[in-house]
Amino acid sequence: MRAADVIYYTFHVQELRSIVQWKIWHHPVHERDPEKEPVSLRVCFDLLDQTSRSFSAVIQELHPELLVPIALFYLILRGLDTIEDDMTLPIEKKDALLRDFHTINEKEGWSFTGSGPDEKDRELLVQFHYVTEEYRKIKPVYREFINDITRKMGAGMADYCNKAAKGNAGVETIEEYDEYCFYVAGLVGQGLTQLFVESGLANAALKDRPQLQKSMGLFLQKTNIIRDVREDWDDKRRFWPREIWSKYVDNFEDLFTPANQEAALNCSSEMVLNSLNHADECLFYLAGLKEQSVFNFAAIPQAMAIATLALVFRNPDIFKKNVKMTKGAACQTMLDSTQNLSKVCEVFRKFVRQIHKKNTPKDPNFLKISIACGKVEQFIESIFPSQNPQALVRQEAPETEEQKKEREEAKWDIIYMLMIVMGTLFVLSFIMIGIAWLVGARFDLAFSELKDGNWRSLGKDNARKMAAKYDRGEL
Amino acid sequence: MEPTVLVTGGSGFVGSAVVAALKRQHPKWQLSVLDLQEPIEPQLQVQYWFCDITNQTEVETLIAKIKPTGIIHTAGVVPHLKDRYSREARQSIFRVNVDGTRNFVTAARDNNVKAFVWTGSCTAVTDDFSQQYPNIDESWPTSSHSLVYGESKTAAEAIVLAASNQHLATCALRPSVIFGPGDRQLIPALHACIVNGETPFAVGDGLNMWDITYVDNVADAHVLAMENLFSTKTAAGQALFISNEQPLPFRDFCLAVWKSFGHYPPFQVNIPRRLAASIGVVAEWVTWLTGYPASLSRGSVQDACQIRYCSGVKAREVLGYKPSVSIEEGIRISCNDFATRSRMQGRCDSGRRGRGKRSQLLLD
Repeated sequence: MRAADVIYYTFHVQELRSIVQWKIWHHPVHERDPEKEPVSLRVCFDLLDQTSRSFSAVIQELHPELLVPIALFYLILRGLDTIEDDMTLPIEKKDALLRDFHTINEKEGWSFTGSGPDEKDRELLVQFHYVTEEYRKIKPVYREFINDITRKMGAGMADYCNKAAKGNAGVETIEEYDEYCFYVAGLVGQGLTQLFVESGLANAALKDRPQLQKSMGLFLQKTNIIRDVREDWDDKRRFWPREIWSKYVDNFEDLFTPANQEAALNCSSEMVLNSLNHADECLFYLAGLKEQSVFNFAAIPQAMAIATLALVFRNPDIFKKNVKMTKGAACQTMLDSTQNLSKVCEVFRKFVRQIHKKNTPKDPNFLKISIACGKVEQFIESIFPSQNPQALVRQEAPETEEQKKEREEAKWDIIYMLMIVMGTLFVLSFIMIGIAWLVGARFDLAFSELKDGNWRSLGKDNARKMAAKYDRGEL
Repeated sequence: MEPTVLVTGGSGFVGSAVVAALKRQHPKWQLSVLDLQEPIEPQLQVQYWFCDITNQTEVETLIAKIKPTGIIHTAGVVPHLKDRYSREARQSIFRVNVDGTRNFVTAARDNNVKAFVWTGSCTAVTDDFSQQYPNIDESWPTSSHSLVYGESKTAAEAIVLAASNQHLATCALRPSVIFGPGDRQLIPALHACIVNGETPFAVGDGLNMWDITYVDNVADAHVLAMENLFSTKTAAGQALFISNEQPLPFRDFCLAVWKSFGHYPPFQVNIPRRLAASIGVVAEWVTWLTGYPASLSRGSVQDACQIRYCSGVKAREVLGYKPSVSIEEGIRISCNDFATRSRMQGRCDSGRRGRGKRSQLLLD
């Protein structure tokens, strides 16, 4: 832990608490048992740990039925991604590899050592035969789903790479942007849905809602594209569609000039708006997941995405550096998103309100963003209503005979209660005053002194004198 | 034979939009307009009639003469914002909104009218300040003890819906707050906030959402309702909320309107609701003592803080209603219209003073 972190968490104890809580109290819903696994599978999980920081943990907590298929699905897509990203591969070779990747799955002992030396997931492709070995062991129906998605994604990526090779780097229209995100993320949503439904761990109706599946992927992808704008540009890549940024600047690189900060922020808020429009459909999708581990697996990335979206909204830092959520905030969000749908909705509402708070009328997308936030709030209200109209209907309805009787009884209960309290007080006072009188308290003196306006208590001696003054006659 | 449709209040804000929508979508229908006032822009091929809707004999005679197949009853009175929270005008408002509606329902029944669409209001449900109304649907009860306007709409709606039978199909539309060109309430009031320097002050947390509907969308809903009652009649005897299906915080709507007038609040102060309510009480006393109307009152504070938006599912399913003009586009049109109108008013203000009285009884 760096000194800066120490200072940060001293002032953000709540976040520190979240980290500790997550470390101590988060118990995996299911735990894999490495002892019983063959070597090849253990290697696969090692590869998973190496390739994904965020997904590995949630995948390893998955229900045993889906644990291996989803882990392999992830590794296979990661393999595709590594080839797509690799700038050292000639385009013809890349094209062929991407389009054939789905057949590779079925081939025994395939591995690939041709990746560039700097490619961070190079090792995955070198040891890919372990993945294909395990892949051949899973249920044929799962294999079919995974293969189908691999084929589609490989083809989509190949198209995109060919276009980029011809010098059309970067996405032009919003339609193209959606299409690109669909290939790299929307398809994953489709594939996972098929796995969830087939295994019986999700509502079968999800299968017939392609729009919801797509939104699950697009929301994550688009949010990452906004956050990573600087990093991608440094790698000579641009995913923000020209149709959006050209409204604000003439050249994409102008976004990174401090002088254009206002234009850049307005541009980023249109990107955030574009992503935010998927948020309600993601919640709708999550409502269809039945099993806890599957729910967590799907909900954590979504909750992180809405948190990230709130973080990058109107944040000039995204054009300067890699903006990251603090670890505490991430743990808090994970804690909140691994319980139930209502908790996840609260997370969404919280971050949507943060976006709303940062929204300013000077932003050209002000009203649209406000309405998009409203749409999420309305959706949450529709699945978890905060008010009950039936209660109002009862209020408005004329009183029935029974209710009238009840109300009458309640009224008398209160009256009796008051009478008992007053009676008790009266009796107690009577007894106390009576005892005082019996032992010789001089109420007459007290009253006449009060009448003269002497409200203060007298000392013992003064009291005696006072009594003497009144009782002179008898002495 | 093509139907004859009578639009009451057809020279008013909503009524004239309904007439325009009917002409556009059903050019062959014969249209009649009944109103107290003359239309600002009379339409070709539309017959205009003048009548006091609170006079039952007049109404009966006219309906017997026109013999419409369908009636769209938009005529009604909306109290001016400053009278919204008072109960003084109860009698006059009820006379127009409730008795006037009853006159038309009776006349429709007596004269073989087939379809009757009535312009109600969401305030039939939402004017009771003791409740919040998030994402409400038609299962929410109407309120008989709210503000005078809401109460009048509740009472009239009951009359309209109860009259639906196999000969006469009726339905009630409950639009939310309506804005658009020709609106004399909402946009002018918000513009006045700029002039009075009140824009930095937000009452409450500014998160409470409202429905605000563009007038042409409301007009479309009326046309759809008429079509429905002429054909499948699935809307007969029903009340339906009509909105722009874009609920948003009321504060944001204000900010967007101010923005289109080129105004941005220089800073923002959120006045807590309770504090604002107590200032409202004081303001009411000051108004009472000095007669100078203040923008703040208990009622206006509650109005500004309330949540009221509907789900819109029923209108979509029963009528196939879908708002065609977005709030953003609507604000642009309305603010341009307001700016043009105030420029014109500025030019011929002195000559027009005499007509000012009309706006007191806004026929809607």
